[in-house]
This record gives sequence, structure tokens and C-alpha cells, in this order.
Amino acid sequence: MAATMTGCRSLIDALAAAPGDRPFVTAWIDEDERGNVTFAEFRRRARLQATIFCDHGVMVGDRVIIIMPQSISAMTTFVGAMMLGAVPAFLAYPNFKVEASKYRSGLAGVTANLNAKIVVIDEEFPDDMLGHVSLGAETRLLRAKDSGGPGADVKLPELANQAGSLAFIQHSAGTTGLQKGVALTHAAVLRQLEHLAEALKIDGATDCVYSWLPLYHDMGLIACFMLPMVCQMPVVMQSPLDWVMQPETMLQIISEHKCTLAWMPNFAFQFVPRRTPPSRWTQYDLSSVRAMINCSEPVRSSSMQEFENAFSAIGLKRGVLQSSYAMAETVFAVTQSDISRASGPERIWADGQRFRSAHLIIPVAEAAPGAVSFTSSGRLLPGNEVRIASDSGALLAPGCVGEILIKSDSLFTGYYNRPDLTAKAIVDGWYHTGDLGFCLEGELYVIGRKKDLLIVGGENFYPQDIEEIVANHPAIHDGRAVAMGIYNPDLGTEDVVVVAEVGRKELLANAMEIEREIRNLVVGGIGVAVRLIFLKPPKWIVKSTAGKAARSATREKLLKEHPELNVES
Amino acid sequence: MTAEAQQMIEHIVRLIRKPGLTIDENTPLVSSGLIDSMALVDLLLKIEDLTHMRIPAGKVQPKDMDTVAKMFVTAQRVGKPRK
Repeated sequence: MAATMTGCRSLIDALAAAPGDRPFVTAWIDEDERGNVTFAEFRRRARLQATIFCDHGVMVGDRVIIIMPQSISAMTTFVGAMMLGAVPAFLAYPNFKVEASKYRSGLAGVTANLNAKIVVIDEEFPDDMLGHVSLGAETRLLRAKDSGGPGADVKLPELANQAGSLAFIQHSAGTTGLQKGVALTHAAVLRQLEHLAEALKIDGATDCVYSWLPLYHDMGLIACFMLPMVCQMPVVMQSPLDWVMQPETMLQIISEHKCTLAWMPNFAFQFVPRRTPPSRWTQYDLSSVRAMINCSEPVRSSSMQEFENAFSAIGLKRGVLQSSYAMAETVFAVTQSDISRASGPERIWADGQRFRSAHLIIPVAEAAPGAVSFTSSGRLLPGNEVRIASDSGALLAPGCVGEILIKSDSLFTGYYNRPDLTAKAIVDGWYHTGDLGFCLEGELYVIGRKKDLLIVGGENFYPQDIEEIVANHPAIHDGRAVAMGIYNPDLGTEDVVVVAEVGRKELLANAMEIEREIRNLVVGGIGVAVRLIFLKPPKWIVKSTAGKAARSATREKLLKEHPELNVES
Repeated sequence: MTAEAQQMIEHIVRLIRKPGLTIDENTPLVSSGLIDSMALVDLLLKIEDLTHMRIPAGKVQPKDMDTVAKMFVTAQRVGKPRK
């Protein structure tokens, strides 16, 4: 496989090399409706898109923001921009729950930071949402035309060697206010794809990817769009919303299209079996799948076990469920478990007491009292190095828990236009991930996050964004709100939990109404539903010495007072 | 209100598990943050059961599921007979 990538200086070169008659993207709507393009048709539509950008004065290096639903058209628009040497970035489509003004201010922040030349929206973009995308004078709004019709095969300007130039920008967190644009070069992306294709033994002639992952996240963009494009491999995709409303369709699509590869966040491994009526499982066949990779949230073997137990009767082979540690800043994967290992990713059991008190991993037998289990994210891909560091920056030995630092040949160039954030994240060539983990016998185990990030259904949220909204409620004491993610074993992902102090004790009589208003504010502000709200009397929240709400101490106090929340497995 | 709508309301109240909470046919569920997108699948499965129809997710947006009344209108609009 690697041979196809060798000699390609850019992702566009790689696309040009794909056999024209091979199917590339199938966009699955339902069993009666889907769109298909071959590699040749995809190239034709992307070139057409490129000429439209050309007519609008888009030039090499210009940033192009794409806000379109998951579709072939969104993908050809993205590649069309790259064909001109412009730098595209997908952003999340507006969600009806989020207020127009909030979406607009988030988008304005991103467009200003990227200094984008054009924002592309789709033809069907609802008129009542147009207020969501009003922009400054520097940026133009363009409605994408469906490029499915006939069109002249146009000649595009020749580009110089692009290897070192920016290919595109990925955004790393769900909330727009604090979004950081991860800038990636063609060379970095191609190196990552080459390592990944090698580790997964990809063969474009026989493999086929299944995806419901959004194109604005690394799993959707890199594993399920760029990897198929460069490996000349078909991909069958559906929209994330359609999947979440009917996870059963995943079984249907894999069966119909005999897909061989898929990536999913941890929660999906229990969401699909729990939300598909068991009476319908036997209609499907998962025997075509050769690797289904769990990444983006800490890997939990219980979730994978549940998926395997449910679907081994319909052809799911042993050893198909695998793991990876991936992030936008390294393009995608840093590690990948050995897909030829029939027992799946490595698992170990460690002394729970020593793990909690001394942050040390002392392997014990599975049945030992108090043993805690960890599932490996696999071994490093070529070109990647890992270090585990203590809070003071000292390097730690294997078996010690600390922050994961990464050096990679696919590392990002920096956060676009944010040298301040870049300097904090990359120190002496090492990217500080903010994740906690340990290494043991060449395997990397990721156990959580050092930074207070919430991961809900594979999407990242910053607690500050939620706390700011909650604290703006007139009944809540200024600055006395803490948002946290608490693992929900039923969903396999985190629930958003908020604890907030009311200004006066009497207000607690109104708790139901205040909770309702807070839910409305948070969902309207950033589109995430708060699962539980705890309103507390004044002075309840633990403060730091600086007088600010202390997140981890408040969390501990809440878990102590509400032991029913304490279900961390 | 139909018996099916009443059953749907009871199903949702059980799902939300919030003591003291009452909802009616027109209570916003998704846009008010009472129900998150991961719970929509439970509502779709329930409405398929109640209407004896198959509802292709590709034709449904979360806003079509925001109230119990809208759920039944959506089922009528996009529902297909069960195979």
C-alpha cells in the first residue's frame, strides 16, 4: 500500500493517482436512497468547486470555512479548496437547539482567528439560520451549488511543491468559543496516513470503510475521508445524527456494503447493542469487518466486551475490536493495537490501592482483591515517541502514571494564528497532550485527562463554557458554578453534571424552576443537555486560595454527598 | 389527546427520571435540554411501536422530535409500513 503514497507530494497528488472507476464515497440516507461517486466523479466535482472558488478570488493559502451537512458535496468542496492550495476547515453545522446569537459569535471568533476569505454554506441552509452566519467585511458568504450536474473539465492553475504547505485546519473541541485550529501540512498528513495504512494492512481494492463520524472531527476527517482518499478505498458514510437516532442502521450498512473497517468512540460500542432491539440482530451480518477501532475516549474493555458478546452470533470475529490513541494535533493516531492479535488489545490488572495512592501500576492477577483493569491503546506508530512526565516535568519510568507527551513526524505546525497557545502546547518539540497514562512493555495505556475536559458522546466540551452560562443565571451566585463529566455506565460516556450555589438560601424553594431555566440556557448556548443539576446553598462550593471555585475539590465533595453518582468503573 | 400520545408521555417521563416533572404534548424536550440526542433513539423506537410504522432516521431531524405532538406528525409524514 505504502507504494501508492510514496512520491505523492500532496493529498491532491494522491487523489489524482486513484483509479477513476473505483467507487469512492457512498452517502447512505436510508435503504431506498443513497448517493454514490467514483474517484473520477469525485475529482470532477472537486475541480468544478475549485473553479467556483477561483472565480471568487480564492488563492493559495486562503482559509475557506465549510459549514455543510455530512455529504459528498461537503467533501468535494473541501478538496476543491485544497486543489487551489487554499486551506479548508470544516465547522459543525448549526444545531437547532443552539441560539442564533451564540452560534454567530462562536463562528465570528473562528472566522476572525482564521481570517477566512470565504464561508461556504449549503444550498439548503435554512433561511431562518442565515442570521447565524453574518460575517465581517473581510469574509464572503458563498452558497455551494450542487456540483453533481454536467460541467466543463476545467484547467486549474499549476501548484508548486506543496509538501510543506498547510493542507487544512482541524478544530479540536466542540465549543466554538475556545476552539483551537490545528494547522497541518500535506507532508504531516501523508506521513500519518502511510503509517496507519501500514499498521492496518489496508488494501484499497478489497477494503471498505463504514463511518457515521462527523467530518469536522479527526476520526471522521482523517480515518474516514483522507485515509480512504489516499488509499484509494471506498467509504460508506451516514450522518452522525441519523446514526444517533437509529444506531441499528450501522449494522444494516455494514451488512449491505460488506464494510471491513470502522472507527468509533468508546460509547458507541455499547450504544449500538443496547439501542438495537435484539429481535432484529439476526437480520444482519458483521463477518466482513476485520477491524473496528475504539478511539477518542479512554478505552473501556467492558464496552467492547458488550459489543462482542452481542454480535459474535452474527459473524463478528474475535480480535476485530481494537484500540488506538488519536488526536487532531498529531493528525490522528499515535498508537494502534496489533490487529493480528486475536484476543484484541492487551489488558492488565493492577493493584487498585497503589494506583490510587501512589499513581503506580503494580500488575496483579485478574482475581486479586481490589484489582483495577486497564486496556491498552496499542503500540506507537513509526515516527512517534512517547514520554510520561510528572507534574513538575520529571520523566517517569514505565509503570508510573503521568502526563503523556508526544513527539511525532505528523505533529501539527501550531494552532493557527495562536503562537501563545502553541508555545504552551509544544515544548522542546514535545506536545503536551494533557492526557494521563502510563507505558508498560511497549504498550501505551490512556487513563484520563489532566485538563478538565468533558467528553460527551465523543464530543469535547470545556467546563468553563458551561459554568459561565450557569453563573449568568440571576439566582446563581456569581462565579459559583462547577461543571463536570461523570461517567454514566449505561451510556458508556460522560454525563454533564452541574453544581451551583444559589445567591440566597430561600431561592432553593424555587429549585425546579431554576433548574429548568439553567437547562434551557446551557442547551441554547452550546447545544449540550445537562443531565443533572445540583443547586446548593451559599458557601457550599469549595473555593481555591484565589477565591475561585475549585473544580476537583468540589467534585469530590459532590461525590461524597451523593454516593449514587460514584460509579466510576 | 390520543391514547398513543398519552403512552408516549408516560414513556418520556420514565426516561427522564426526574421526580415531580410533568410534561404535555407541547413541552419542548430537545430544545429545552430535557432530552439529549442520545435519547432520541428511544423515542424513535417507541413511536415506531406505537404507530406500527418504520421511521427512516434519514428523513427525521431532532427538531421534528422536539414535542410529543411533533413526533406523531413526523411519523405520519415519513413513516413507512413495516416490512
